[in-house]
Amino acid sequence: MAKDIIVSNSEAKFILETLKINQRLDGRKFTDFRDVTITFGKEYGDVMVTLGDTKVHCRISCEITQPYEDRPFEGLFLISTESTPMAGAQFENGNNVGEDEVLISRIIEKAVRRSSALDIEGLCIIAGSKCWAVRANVHFLNGDGGFIDASCIAVMAGLMHFKKPDITIDGNNIIVHPVEEREPVPLGILHVPICVTFSFYNPQDTEANIKGENNSEIVIIDATLKEELMRDGVLTVTLNKNREVVQVSKAGGLPMDAITLMDCCHKAYGITERITDQIINAIKEDYKTRNKYASILSSENDRYT
Amino acid sequence: MSNDLEKTIDIHPVSFTPEVLARISPELSLQKHLSLGFRPSLKGFEEFREIQLNEDFLSRYGKEHKDNNIIGSNVLKCGDTFVVTTITGGIIEDSVVYKNMENELIGVDDIKSTDLSNYTSIYPVVEVERGRAGACTDEEMALSQRLYDYVLYSKILPKEALKVQPGIRITDNNNGNAKVIYPDSSDNSTLPDNVFQISKKWSYLLYAKIKVFSRTGPVFDLCWNSLMYALQSVQLPRAFVDERATDLKMTIRTKGRNATIRETYEILSDPCQQYSLRLHSENIAYASNYGIINLDPEAKITEENSDEDIDMDAIESVLLADLDTEAEENSVNSTISVISNSEGGLKHVSIFGGDAKITPEMLKKLLKLSQKRACYLEDEIK
Amino acid sequence: MEGLNVSTGYLSQVDGSTHYKTSTTTVLCSVTGPIEPKSRQELPTKLALELIVRPSVGVPTTREILIQDKLNSVLNQIIVGYLYPRQLCQITFQIMESGEKMEYFHIKELIACVNAATLALIDSAIALQSMAVGVVIAVTYDDSYIVDPSNEIMQNSRSVHGLVLELIEGSNVVKNVLLLDSNGDFNDAALFKVLEVGEENILKLSKHFRKIIESKVKQTLTE
Repeated sequence: MAKDIIVSNSEAKFILETLKINQRLDGRKFTDFRDVTITFGKEYGDVMVTLGDTKVHCRISCEITQPYEDRPFEGLFLISTESTPMAGAQFENGNNVGEDEVLISRIIEKAVRRSSALDIEGLCIIAGSKCWAVRANVHFLNGDGGFIDASCIAVMAGLMHFKKPDITIDGNNIIVHPVEEREPVPLGILHVPICVTFSFYNPQDTEANIKGENNSEIVIIDATLKEELMRDGVLTVTLNKNREVVQVSKAGGLPMDAITLMDCCHKAYGITERITDQIINAIKEDYKTRNKYASILSSENDRYT
Repeated sequence: MSNDLEKTIDIHPVSFTPEVLARISPELSLQKHLSLGFRPSLKGFEEFREIQLNEDFLSRYGKEHKDNNIIGSNVLKCGDTFVVTTITGGIIEDSVVYKNMENELIGVDDIKSTDLSNYTSIYPVVEVERGRAGACTDEEMALSQRLYDYVLYSKILPKEALKVQPGIRITDNNNGNAKVIYPDSSDNSTLPDNVFQISKKWSYLLYAKIKVFSRTGPVFDLCWNSLMYALQSVQLPRAFVDERATDLKMTIRTKGRNATIRETYEILSDPCQQYSLRLHSENIAYASNYGIINLDPEAKITEENSDEDIDMDAIESVLLADLDTEAEENSVNSTISVISNSEGGLKHVSIFGGDAKITPEMLKKLLKLSQKRACYLEDEIK
Repeated sequence: MEGLNVSTGYLSQVDGSTHYKTSTTTVLCSVTGPIEPKSRQELPTKLALELIVRPSVGVPTTREILIQDKLNSVLNQIIVGYLYPRQLCQITFQIMESGEKMEYFHIKELIACVNAATLALIDSAIALQSMAVGVVIAVTYDDSYIVDPSNEIMQNSRSVHGLVLELIEGSNVVKNVLLLDSNGDFNDAALFKVLEVGEENILKLSKHFRKIIESKVKQTLTE
């Protein structure tokens, strides 16, 4: 049964008090993002991302299908995020209508799918009759806060790592070449959105915050589960390496200073840049271990410049 | 208060009629029956129920011509339970060619016939009627999936048998009469050779709807047997495309771009011509189910022998064939289901072990029984 | 046992968990319980089980329901249910690598789930009366018995069998057959051979599991 986690009063008070004196339970600074690890499985597009204790697994798959009738030149791209009691007892099986679950899947959807991070026109095979359907299955394994940030990294790393089988079009027939026969082809990634979540706390009473001259709210990046449960407001910004804001989401909660938004975006950009590089490097490393013999088998001549 | 204590109270042992006892304590009632040497259904331990068949009465090719889209059917009655299986079909386009270098070098057909990927299955939906509507239960979903899996693993249904060889409907320009010509028919010599070279390929798909009425016990074996009988009655209608549709192209325009789309052909089923589905009939086998239960030594105590010393630790277990009634279904938790043919060849065995130990001797015995049962079930259809 | 990699206590928000990886199949299993059940799940005399199986690709279908159904009958036998009346235990399986063609098989995933569940239940300290350990065996057309076969072997084999045995007394004694799922084309002789080969391998595997548990317990005690 889905049970809300309850933080005891004394613990809640303790967490707030520590925040007031610029400390966090895990010793991080307010602007520190937890360490991210990215590991790939045997298949292309099988990726496990950990963010501190939070674990998210993402699996990309594809199949050939018919495109939507009103979009004959586009392939299909679907992200499905489903939570199970594995991630924590607060999640219920098959029940994805909870407020948190909906919010998580909406934000990932907006950040990745609606921002056209994946080139879906490149998934078209024969206009109006055949296209690729790419599916990202996000599995929440361990919940210690920051599901949105971790899932976004997992989906993007998965998409960038994934390769679909090569095809040849022969008249009306599509020939799918098995992976052993022809090198599979990667997907077209247009940009890499990265989500960074900020949590807000109000050290004074509510009235002082709304009416007060100076908003003294506390802003921290990448809250853990306990910090998430305590927060008064939340903001998720999605940026890419081109300094573009892809998505901003603040669903009510503590009102924030407009200038803080700019400040948050600045802080997020640094993290975005670092994570993007980390994903690219992880993929490079992984391809290298897969293709141990590529350099020996290559028939390409050495080129000198 | 003190008055009450002085009254004498008579204590009578509570007794129930067998029907009531079976309701309130099915386990006890079952044990009592077994200790007397028979089962609550009054069958012997290794006795099966008889079945009655009503072969292919419901389909359009059945004894009475019917105007429906059922292409194979079976009604099976076993004890109080009815199972009605109806098979319908569909046609899908085989759009994707999985190219495999191996297949090009060596002939595909004969060499890889053992490969599971050359076989397909039927898509069954099992409905166990309980007198109420609602979402399907886990039991129904698991049953459907088991039927699907075991048809596939039995290698009964080769993909080759479901390939469509479409004919062409030709309209005579002079009198406007349409006629359908198939590649193997005799009067196609007048046609140009390339007429039948349609680049698309189609396959039939088979769906089975299995309805179970008045369920009294586990129904997997009944559903399987009914499905086997129904599959053997399936006749596939021939299919054809219209000659005008053999090379249809359509232009579409979106966001200022043009593309030519080869429209899907309209493929139609012939209402008059059909042929029997070519199953791998040597792989057809029939199902039976068994249970093993430990006898409760206490149940052996009767009024006559209540003074005798009965060894309470000696566990004795019995094999029950063809589980039926709620008491047996709930109290027997070591169950075995077998799909076997009359020669003793096995297609499927599943064992779910519970309290009662499944010994090799029992396994041997029940495999023999399955073979006998399969003989009986096989003869029913002939 | 080649390529077998097990780590218990993998997750932090549940009571017990196992990351179970064979050379082809990877399953993550978590156990939460005993906890308060919903009223429709509650059983008056014993522990209720809620099993959830999630596929690696796509959404759960009847295929996963069938895996759940088979797992349910196995796990109900090894858990001492009467110790926890009116309570619930949630066991969740996330298949991360199926190691077989999902349209044809589910046996490797099922057996991996059984082994992962046994280890996760031990990790969660729920009372067990025995261990359930399983293997997959394929019988090829040239009559060899292959333990933990690859998908290619299974697809071209004469029959495929999944076997789970109930082990007691330090994993030395086989108490019963908990599950046998045999499919394909075989006879009684082949079936008994499978039981024999299976028993031998399961006993070996369970010894390995005991070592893993032992070292894990030692590690926690010294920490």
